[in-house]
Amino acid sequence: MNKRFLMNAGRTTKQGQQINVGKDSAEYQAIVNTITMHADDMKEVGIAAGATVRVRSDNGEALFQCKEGKVPPGMIFVPYGPPTCRLMGQTTDGTGMPTSKGWEVEVEPA
Amino acid sequence: MIYWGGNPAECHPRHFTKYSLTQKGKFIPNGRKDRTMVLVDIRETPSAKAADLFLQIRPGKDFEVITALRAIIKDQPVNPKSVAETGLTVEQLQDLVKQMKAARFGIIFFGMGLSMTRGKHMNSAGVLMLAAEMNAFTKFVAMPMRGHGNVTGSDMVMRWSTGYPFGVNLCRGYPRFNPGEYSTVDLLVRGDNDAALILGADPGATMPQPGIDHLARIPTIVLDPKVTHTSRISRVHITTAATGVSAPGTVYRMDEIPLPLRPALKSPYPTDEEVIRRIREAVAKKPAWRPSPNGQMAIV
Repeated sequence: MNKRFLMNAGRTTKQGQQINVGKDSAEYQAIVNTITMHADDMKEVGIAAGATVRVRSDNGEALFQCKEGKVPPGMIFVPYGPPTCRLMGQTTDGTGMPTSKGWEVEVEPA
Repeated sequence: MIYWGGNPAECHPRHFTKYSLTQKGKFIPNGRKDRTMVLVDIRETPSAKAADLFLQIRPGKDFEVITALRAIIKDQPVNPKSVAETGLTVEQLQDLVKQMKAARFGIIFFGMGLSMTRGKHMNSAGVLMLAAEMNAFTKFVAMPMRGHGNVTGSDMVMRWSTGYPFGVNLCRGYPRFNPGEYSTVDLLVRGDNDAALILGADPGATMPQPGIDHLARIPTIVLDPKVTHTSRISRVHITTAATGVSAPGTVYRMDEIPLPLRPALKSPYPTDEEVIRRIREAVAKKPAWRPSPNGQMAIV
């Protein structure tokens, strides 16, 4: 089995600005389609900076660009957007809130 | 002041300067210098730069840390091994509790890192209990950091009009509240509803994919100033004026203070309120109906 990573989706200032500018802009598309990983994790999985990767969770899969950045090893950060909708948890555990952060995912070069 | 599972430097950029951290107050004449700020999160976000103390915990261990803190404030023993699993040490937590008890007025701002991860409402309940129990020692409160503009407003209006903040079912003519059954994500993912009116939101870019697929299957009506992911999959998209920019209204701050909005510009489009009023007036003119025994609609 491939190594499992913890994917953490969140907001960033630029993503927040762009959702108000317009979701069709190239800048918004680039922001929500880019994941940030730890440099050592990228080496381990065999991903070059800027490469396209396939991320698979229990709920679905999506393609992202990958860059290295300041996240703890084993964690992937991604701004919220349409690609994260395909990966996020679908049940709410009776709370009304879907699991929008902290999914176990597999990553492979696409 | 504790921020837990939130990143205000990026998500609430005016929170530090206009509200919480650097503002001078009657009892805090020196502003930032008189305050202690602690950040608890699973990754070092830009907010960590503003913190006096940054506690990085392991993902999914918030509830464990909260529970340990609740024990430590009451001088109950905690297992160092269990605490070590959270990524922190007992000494770090004891030091935090010491600082919390020394505060004259403490506050915990808790964000989506608590409420959207495993544990969800149990994490939030833990923080609220922690704040409540801290009042045995000093004044302490807790406040949620909301994800979108005016989520608090929606909660407030639902609360004073139905008694519940969200997930309200009005099908029987009186409000019933059951998160997990009547809440939006659950209804859409299960495919319970056969029509949807989307107001001031873009679920097509934020909800789980099966919910988005269901919105595309059913008649969906969107009221939004812009073309969004949801408006693309909807049957009807009514362009409305942007609230706060070209439409007046009221916005609730995260501390539940209502603020009037004065529009700076004029819009050729109607406001959300006007569209809803006109739909209501048109619906009121239609004859009432009830299901008949043979499965058809009977006009009453």
